[in-house]
Amino acid sequence: MKELTFVMRMMMKEKKDIVLSIVFGFIAGMAAVLLFSASGYLISKAAFAPPFYTLMLVIASVKLLSFVRAFSRYGERYVSHRGTFTMLSQLRMAFYEKLEPLAPGIFHKYRSGDLLARIVGDVESLQNFFLRVVYPPVVLALVFMSTIFFTTFYSFQTAVILLIGFLLTAIVIPAIFAVRQRAIDSEVRIKRASLSTEVTELLYGFRDLKIYQQLDDKEQQLLQASESYIKEQAKEERTTLLNQSLNQFISLLVTVAVLAAGAYLIGKDELDGIFLAMLIMITLTVFEEAPAMAVFPNHFNDSSRAAKRLFSIINQKEKLVHKEDLVISEAPEIQMEDVTFTFSTEERPAVEGVHVYMPSGSKTAFVGASGSGKSTLMQLMLQLITPDQGKVTINGTEMASVQQESIWKAANVVLQENHFFYGTIRDNLLLANDTVADAELQATLRKVQLEHFHLDDRVYERGENLSGGEKQRLAMARAMLKSGKLWLLDEPTSSLDAVTEHMVYEHLFREAADDTLVLISHRLAGLEKMDQIIVMDEGKIVEAGTFATLMEKQGYFYEMKKLEYNLL
Amino acid sequence: MNHMKNYLYANKKSTIYLLVLALLMGSVIVAQAYLLVAVIDGVFLQERSFQEILPFLGGLLFILFARSFIPFISGKIGIRLGSEAKSHFRHRLVAHFSNNPVQASLKGQAGQKVSVMMDAIDEVDSYFSSYIPQVIRSSVIPVIILMVVFLEHVNSGLIMLITSPFIPLFMVIIGMQTKKKSEEQMEELAAFSGRFLDTLQGLVTLKLFGKAKQQKHAIQTSSLRFRDATMEILKVAFTSSFMLELISMLAIGLVALEVALQLIVFDGISFFTAFLVLILAPEYFTSLRELGTAFHNGKSSMGAAKKVEEELALDEVSAVTWGETPLSKKEEPVQLELQGATFQYGEDEFMLRPIHITFAPRTKNAIVGKTGSGKSTLLHLIAGIMLPDEGSILVDGKPLTSYQEADWFAQLGYISQHPYIFAGSIADNIAIGNKQGTTREAIERAAEQAGLADMVGELENGYDTYVGEGGRGLSGGEKQRLALARAFLKRPAIILFDEPTTGLDLRTERILQASIEKLAKAATIITVAHRLHTIKDADRILYLDQGRLVAEGTHEQLIQRVEGYRKMVMVQRGGQR
Repeated sequence: MKELTFVMRMMMKEKKDIVLSIVFGFIAGMAAVLLFSASGYLISKAAFAPPFYTLMLVIASVKLLSFVRAFSRYGERYVSHRGTFTMLSQLRMAFYEKLEPLAPGIFHKYRSGDLLARIVGDVESLQNFFLRVVYPPVVLALVFMSTIFFTTFYSFQTAVILLIGFLLTAIVIPAIFAVRQRAIDSEVRIKRASLSTEVTELLYGFRDLKIYQQLDDKEQQLLQASESYIKEQAKEERTTLLNQSLNQFISLLVTVAVLAAGAYLIGKDELDGIFLAMLIMITLTVFEEAPAMAVFPNHFNDSSRAAKRLFSIINQKEKLVHKEDLVISEAPEIQMEDVTFTFSTEERPAVEGVHVYMPSGSKTAFVGASGSGKSTLMQLMLQLITPDQGKVTINGTEMASVQQESIWKAANVVLQENHFFYGTIRDNLLLANDTVADAELQATLRKVQLEHFHLDDRVYERGENLSGGEKQRLAMARAMLKSGKLWLLDEPTSSLDAVTEHMVYEHLFREAADDTLVLISHRLAGLEKMDQIIVMDEGKIVEAGTFATLMEKQGYFYEMKKLEYNLL
Repeated sequence: MNHMKNYLYANKKSTIYLLVLALLMGSVIVAQAYLLVAVIDGVFLQERSFQEILPFLGGLLFILFARSFIPFISGKIGIRLGSEAKSHFRHRLVAHFSNNPVQASLKGQAGQKVSVMMDAIDEVDSYFSSYIPQVIRSSVIPVIILMVVFLEHVNSGLIMLITSPFIPLFMVIIGMQTKKKSEEQMEELAAFSGRFLDTLQGLVTLKLFGKAKQQKHAIQTSSLRFRDATMEILKVAFTSSFMLELISMLAIGLVALEVALQLIVFDGISFFTAFLVLILAPEYFTSLRELGTAFHNGKSSMGAAKKVEEELALDEVSAVTWGETPLSKKEEPVQLELQGATFQYGEDEFMLRPIHITFAPRTKNAIVGKTGSGKSTLLHLIAGIMLPDEGSILVDGKPLTSYQEADWFAQLGYISQHPYIFAGSIADNIAIGNKQGTTREAIERAAEQAGLADMVGELENGYDTYVGEGGRGLSGGEKQRLALARAFLKRPAIILFDEPTTGLDLRTERILQASIEKLAKAATIITVAHRLHTIKDADRILYLDQGRLVAEGTHEQLIQRVEGYRKMVMVQRGGQR
């Protein structure tokens, strides 16, 4: 509930739309009630052949009311949707504001891209919070209260019956079902997850399943999972159905009660018979609004779950320690002393007992098979993660006590996966440095062999329209434009052919001549000019030295080189 | 939509039930109106006593119970229909997937297929559980009401009949306009809807470039522009509801006016009739409007249904059907022979040209060729996962598919580049396919031989450590060794090996080489080779180029005879690609 209160507070920023939605909704509801009560009255009155003008008056008001109702319904829909979308934008901003300081640390906790898609989906699903959870009950309550107040003038007993009906259909039943639904919902989600796993395994592991003759078993498991998922879904649907039917039954029961009470009172001459038709029409109409409450439990549960999940992410308090703002204007020196780091989801350390010294202006290469811990070292140097043991220092200061931003400011980074944003090539390059003129941007594109790109060319989300090699070169261009003194490159050319790679490296080494450079590479060609090569295996350094010494030593590196030579 | 229609036809009984329930519902609505009016007329004009109208009230109570009970029952039928449909289509999709060996090579599309299997099928539900029942209801009930009104008072019936076509007409016009509008706004929508996700995904990049704070307003701008684009479309939809509401309201007003005039001016009808018509008119228009809504909602589930049908219609390749001949596991591996086997993925697509070749028992064979030369296709044909279009594959002189499926696969091992790790323990993953018949000792021995024992020993739960989806991650080298352990446990007579294209860690590389050596002693090995030593070590090399078997022979022979081979092996080597 605490989470929903926050969402509620965000919503309140759109007071005007909220108030208007309620006002329009109220007018629409009341117009319908009045419209039908007027026609009920009209018909009864007509039975006594009254003077013509009174009838004309009632008929005119009926017409007017139907127009008012249709129009205010339109207004309600328009305003409530506009308000909802504005609220979503507020929510996105507020959430981004909270998430931003937590990144990138948070991405290690939940590594997959799923997390982000889920965040987006959860924010999106909160649109139903205002639209289906918050304001409809308010409108409903207002319409009911006004109607009940109106009926007290004709029959107090009818008013009481309406009130009881309202309490049952709008509060008691939705509340009961909200609780019941919650248990079923979570069961549905569990079953869905297990079916999803089965489907994924069948499709991705198809060949292995076939060869090992497990396909039939797997199919059976999948179908079983599907059956129990469907069963659970049906249970959920049946609960919703029961909720709706029960709600409708009660509202109809109220109609009979009103009718019976009315008939009884007329018999005792406590009510004028001319009002009975009107009261019945009122009852039938006012309860037409009640089904809005039947969807309330589902949406309420969805919203509170979405809000809870969102806030479980951003409520993780990071320790706020005052950190030094380090100015790195010259090529920095980096040192790792006995560094060990284990990802929270893993048992085995990703890197263990690593000692490396990278003097100012030096060029260091890290090599090793995938999973040997190279990229983890780079994350440590960027202070995206902090070591469990040992320390990383930059210019003699321990990195843990330095503001991350001051390191990032100095670093030209190319990651294994580089993100590009929706926009143009220019937009994506200017990210690195927005003071650069087009001419220089174009020159940089040439350096990375992308001269065929125009600065105005479109880039889609995540750079979907770029090939792997294009993305790597664009990331390299972005790094070059940043002109920091520290280069951290994680397999920056793995998708490039040898010729292009060579040319890109030419430019790179010219630009980085005086800077400190760290290159992670799984290819061993072209490492001759590095000052040192660090060879990693299973998180540990197994060898270090220059290309020549390592080759001479005929150790691990030499074997790797031989293996690479062996590859077709 | 044929699959859906056929399915519905096969479930005629449910449809008939729904129809009967809709007829009942129509009658109940009419009966409710009659009873209501009878009571009011009774106490108001006929001045009946409370006791006299009590039976009517009792009847009304019963009718109202029916009015909420009938939708409940038809809702239940709908849910059952939807559940059964989901189950039915999931069964068919599963059968379709596993009979479609080609899909093994279409790995890239697996994600899409998962979504068809999960989401598209879930959406099919509402086609049966709400769309169909609603259509039946909405086509029956208005007719019943209209008939009753005509019987009671022809003029009102005429007003209702004349005004009602405007409702579907407007819905069609508005539907077209909405479509046009949304096409106009398409680009805006596409550009802004993904912006939030795009920014979140790029958050690390933004932070590294010190631009994260500025993005807040970019998010707001794109959110608001998304809102405006969406509102443009919604406005059309809301206008449509406005018009529909107005039409039905005006029509009801017209009916009310007419009956009122009849009642007082012309004294043509009774209060009873007038009031009855007045109560039935809104029911009539509500029903009609619901039909429109049903069509609108039905569209999305029909879209999902279409996806399912497209999937089912896709490359319905004849499944491999196996014979009855037993194939026992003998000391000596079987002899494999390809006689003019060909395969094509589809018209104008890649084709494997006729291949004639014999694999003698206990030989080491290497398949060499550029990417896309047909190496994996050949491997899949030999494995019996795919059936050759023409020609045949012989095992000990008899067609491969004349043998029992289980017997063949019991002899076969397949070590792929990216072995799939299933959700389960390491032991389960090694024993895959033989969970019951395997002792823990055998599993551990296999792991030992595949060089996996050290790694497992370091884990807290050892062989019971959970891996795969939702479990602990394994490195590429570890996965490869796990696949080897599977082979050591199974001891196949024929091993198909898709050698990794990139170098693994040295330890795994060494283990891989040694293990294949060990396994080769008792088996025929066919390797898609990416390593020079594998080729040099092979008894025979098959050189493929663009789906053709260009040459075969030993390494030395091919170097001398075939230029393409020489180029590939001598020049393009050593990570210099």
